[in-house]
Amino acid sequence: MGTPASKRQAARKPDITGVALVPLAIFFLLALAFPFLPLGDLGAFLLQIGFFTLVAGIMALSWDILARSGQVSLAHAAFYGLGAYGYALLLKTGLVWSLAMPLAALGAGVVSLLVGAVTMRLSGMYFAIATLAFTEVVRTIIQNLPEDVAGGANGLLVPALLGGNSRGQYLLALLLLALTASVSLAVRTGRLHHAFAAIRQGEETARVLGVSTVRYKLAAFFISSFLAALAGVLYAGKTFFISPLDTFSLANSIAPLTTSIFGGLYTTLGPILGATVLRIAEEALHNVVKNGYLVVYGLVLMLSILWLPRGLMGLFRRGRHGGDL
Amino acid sequence: MKTLLLTGVLLAVSGAGAVKVGVLIPLSGAGSVSGQAAKNGYELALDEINKAGGVLGKPLEVVYGDDASAPAKAVPEFVKLVTVDKVDFMAGGVSSAVSVALSGPAKQYNTFMAWIGAAATPVEDAFADHKYFFHYHPWSYYNFEAILGFFKTLKDKQGAKNIAIAYEDGPFGSAGIDATVDAFKKAGFNVVLTEKFKTGSGNFGPLVSKAKAAKPDIMYWVGYDTDALPLATEIKQQNLKLGLIYGTPPSWPVGFEKNPLANDIAGLSLWLPTSPNKESAAFVAAYKKKFNNVTEEYFAPLAYVNLKSLAAAINKAGSVDKDKVAAELARINMPTPFGPLTFSKSLKTQYQGFKAGNWLHFQFLNDTRVPVYPANFSQKPVVWGK
Repeated sequence: MGTPASKRQAARKPDITGVALVPLAIFFLLALAFPFLPLGDLGAFLLQIGFFTLVAGIMALSWDILARSGQVSLAHAAFYGLGAYGYALLLKTGLVWSLAMPLAALGAGVVSLLVGAVTMRLSGMYFAIATLAFTEVVRTIIQNLPEDVAGGANGLLVPALLGGNSRGQYLLALLLLALTASVSLAVRTGRLHHAFAAIRQGEETARVLGVSTVRYKLAAFFISSFLAALAGVLYAGKTFFISPLDTFSLANSIAPLTTSIFGGLYTTLGPILGATVLRIAEEALHNVVKNGYLVVYGLVLMLSILWLPRGLMGLFRRGRHGGDL
Repeated sequence: MKTLLLTGVLLAVSGAGAVKVGVLIPLSGAGSVSGQAAKNGYELALDEINKAGGVLGKPLEVVYGDDASAPAKAVPEFVKLVTVDKVDFMAGGVSSAVSVALSGPAKQYNTFMAWIGAAATPVEDAFADHKYFFHYHPWSYYNFEAILGFFKTLKDKQGAKNIAIAYEDGPFGSAGIDATVDAFKKAGFNVVLTEKFKTGSGNFGPLVSKAKAAKPDIMYWVGYDTDALPLATEIKQQNLKLGLIYGTPPSWPVGFEKNPLANDIAGLSLWLPTSPNKESAAFVAAYKKKFNNVTEEYFAPLAYVNLKSLAAAINKAGSVDKDKVAAELARINMPTPFGPLTFSKSLKTQYQGFKAGNWLHFQFLNDTRVPVYPANFSQKPVVWGK
């Protein structure tokens, strides 16, 4: 028996209603109020935790946007690093940070188009391996640039973002996370959503249906890389130092993947929630289980993924189609 | 015994207002081996300090933080120690990347830093203008200065002239390799081979063949522990005649000294349990008593010296006033397992503790590491293979 047309239509249509947006709005309101709360002695410490949580949120959500087109990338560290290095090198030319930041992200986006054009024919495991190799190539190139240009293997000092003002840095990271969430929602509600979903569910079929798969996959890659590079800029400006080994570390490619899965794939709130819960859990465990907290943290993560295959968002979407925050 | 007990009770009663030292070290992550060794060193020093009356008449308190060898974890942890735990002084520090990231909050909170590790020069740049930064570990350029000094002695005494350099292609091996070649040449050596390799590949056949053709006196190898045995095996198999194989891995393979292939291979360390000075022997004995083993990680005695010297400076200053403590620490002249600790200027920072002269060179001889240079640490003469 066929599904009535209205039901099918409802299943396909993104559920971005006012009610669905409420949790996201609450998150951002709380996050905005956070640095102004009277947290006493804990305030400065929690603000630092908050900053790195927001950066992890941008990384996870930007990775998720790419994953929606069926591309499981392990090149996120490369774009994160390109953003960080691009920003540092542009600052060295005398450019102001407010221009250096978008330009560095744009540079990473352009590189992603070139990489995307080469790897478009690949999918699944092959695509993942190609992106992993790309990260290694970028790391090697940066490391072998003359030391007076990019610091070589020793790394490069980066001027403090916003003069080292912690609250300012936090608010800037929140602004960029809001930008990432807006892009994610725009993708979710626009034509890109249908194209990405079609490609993810079967590239051949999507092509037969008239979807320009190359164009849409490149668009996903560009958006994702641009946003990951912004996260890299935030990191560089916060830690004052970037080196090929740390910045292009595989951990920077894996963390967004696990965070998105933990929070809930193909959603906007999921990766943000995932980053927040994981960082809070890690800090809490760290203070409770002084030695071996990483073992407990790993176990919690494994059990969560086993019991919540749709991530944290699965808790709110049981029995619903699509779940579309 | 009664006096000790009484001192302990008095110290416990007067616990309020005790001096607190925050120790930020990698207890997890990539640098955790050094971090755990450092923690043992701090624990041993803390026992001794408090048994001897504590600091300013109260037991010294140490609050540990785990930087997880990651700047993103270290910055919040540092801020927590300073603003939540309200420590009076900060100590620790192993990773360079982590330490640079801490330069921001350290300057923001004007934190007193007695720092044991972080030898890369960007750390020196980052803390150049911080008035309370005391750095114990030699900067990376002192490491090379020490190696060059040793090689110059080999040139004078053994006629060493030709050097082959084998370095891993990652950041550890590649950093500053051009400057290394230039420095050897400037010192009158012929660099007859400069060859990079992939660490862990285990294939040193082509590299050793090229070295054989280049006829070096010294094979200077910059790589990781995993490369030590394959390289030594290949050199043996191809019967490459060398005066000395000199390696600078961050750590040597476990049990390497027991392998006959390790015989005569030389390396660099800040300290060895066999170091012949009195303070080293006392440290080894105390460490063995507390932990029932002997460590070969120099971060253990380095942390021990770090806390002992800081506590001594606070006691001499008679308060936790940062300027007074800095003045006392700057004046310190303390016998340590590494030799005397004094602070003087480095290229960019005001207070540098150990320098090139504190490095010692050893050779694997008869199943153990034996200091062979400099003369004041040497237990046996260098075994030269040519």
